[in-house]
Amino acid sequence: MPTLPAISVTDLNVSFGAAHVLRDVSFSVANGESFGLVGESGSGKSTVLRVLSGLNPVWSGDIAFGETVHAKKPAKSFFRQVQMVFQDPFASLHPRMTIDGILAEPLAIHGIDRPDERIAGALRDVGLDEGFRFRYPHQLSGGQRQRVAIARALALEPSVLLLDEPTSALDVSIQAEVLNLLQDIKQQRNLTMVIVSHNLAVVGHMCNRVAVMNGGKIVEETDIASLRETGGREIYTRELLAASRRVSLSATLGAA
Amino acid sequence: MTNDMASDAPLIEVKNLAVRFHTPTRIVEAVRGLSFTLGREKLAIVGESGSGKSMTGRAILDLVPWPGEVSAQRLAYRGRDLQAMKPQERRGLRGKHISMVMQDPKFSLNPVMTVGKQIAEAYRVHTRVSAAEARERALAMLEAVQIREPARVFDLYPHEVSGGMGQRVMIAMMLIGEPDVLIADEPTSALDVTVQAQILDILERLVTDRGMGLIFISHDLPLVAAFCDRVIVMYAGRVMETLDAKDLRHGKHPYTQGLLGCLPDLDHPRQRLAVLDRDPAWAGG
Repeated sequence: MPTLPAISVTDLNVSFGAAHVLRDVSFSVANGESFGLVGESGSGKSTVLRVLSGLNPVWSGDIAFGETVHAKKPAKSFFRQVQMVFQDPFASLHPRMTIDGILAEPLAIHGIDRPDERIAGALRDVGLDEGFRFRYPHQLSGGQRQRVAIARALALEPSVLLLDEPTSALDVSIQAEVLNLLQDIKQQRNLTMVIVSHNLAVVGHMCNRVAVMNGGKIVEETDIASLRETGGREIYTRELLAASRRVSLSATLGAA
Repeated sequence: MTNDMASDAPLIEVKNLAVRFHTPTRIVEAVRGLSFTLGREKLAIVGESGSGKSMTGRAILDLVPWPGEVSAQRLAYRGRDLQAMKPQERRGLRGKHISMVMQDPKFSLNPVMTVGKQIAEAYRVHTRVSAAEARERALAMLEAVQIREPARVFDLYPHEVSGGMGQRVMIAMMLIGEPDVLIADEPTSALDVTVQAQILDILERLVTDRGMGLIFISHDLPLVAAFCDRVIVMYAGRVMETLDAKDLRHGKHPYTQGLLGCLPDLDHPRQRLAVLDRDPAWAGG
């Protein structure tokens, strides 16, 4: 019997009033795989993540995480399995809570034992020492905050991690550190990841397979190697690739 | 005579610029000993956050926030000493002769005023014209930054326009006074790659057509290598090296190489990305 994919999405549709923002989106992600979603802003890629994470209760279609069918209003246990990291580390951490408080909250909600050890462990896993526990978010740099956001997501030991533009608010040098961290964590824990980005280079670095979205539809699904070689089937994919390569090392500097 | 000299002078001269912040516990030196001249060209200042690149742009416009203190051996616009000017004179320069485009249009536009009115206002501050004439100019400017329906966009509020359109509105507002120098502080970092390309095309065209000088502040090295003529690489308030944009890849300084090495590249996949190894000696001395 073939193993079930970690995430399977079939004919997902989302409308906000008259705006039909997702049209028959279908894809599946295998266990331990990294899957990328790319597209311009407004293409619906973040909405897909919001539906998967349970933040957007209005949708139709079939979604399953392994054997569990995704409910419109997921049970508490669901959030132990699926966690999300948001784009802006300046907006996603509570400004009046210490790092300790931020990391303790999900543990308290789910009634998990030994919170003290787990918080220390979660910080260590993302490369922050214990001195950070009693600081506030404004005392941290952007890269450190994003590490805290990743630590918060990982504290519950989820099997699926959803990342919405995890590095687009960060400097290139910090981006490299965060991407390396995510790679390490993924290998250690056999995490399934879905990464949304408009940066094709970042997705290419992190993922094996990528879906290109435009106008609420998946216009192309391909693996990174063939995308690199063929440049994509759809015109829109080619455009995106050209735009990425214009700001990518090999095209601009290599040609000069 | 003096006029002739002034027209030969470079657009911007900066010699030994320093920006310091006096805090209760210590003095933070945001910029230390920066020197450059700007002609009619595209000059990039690159570095990480906190390297002092934005403060350099602000120091030229006298926009360094309190308690910052700017000092320089020479700070001049077309041969005119900026430090000797009265605050009113410098205010006269801002927008009319030297303009600045900020990173995020969401925070730089007035949320309770239509974008068209804001552009027209920027024009009327420096030029005595009727409201109708300012409106005409604003519409023409919106068209110049490739907004398809200028008349419709004119009456929209900032929250009703997308990020890319907001940034075009900002550029229109900054260029309506026809400045000689444009300082663009990360003008495309908040935008999608495809929109980014459009904004750069607009900037490129406007800069070339009007013969302006552009200071392009960014942390994106490949982007400036493709877009600018010369690059200044900054770290911890100091210049690491200055080089032609096309030679950026062959930059000698380890910091430049480090910044280039830590980028993921679609065409050359690697298992792990290089991480910057910051040498304390770069910041010292």
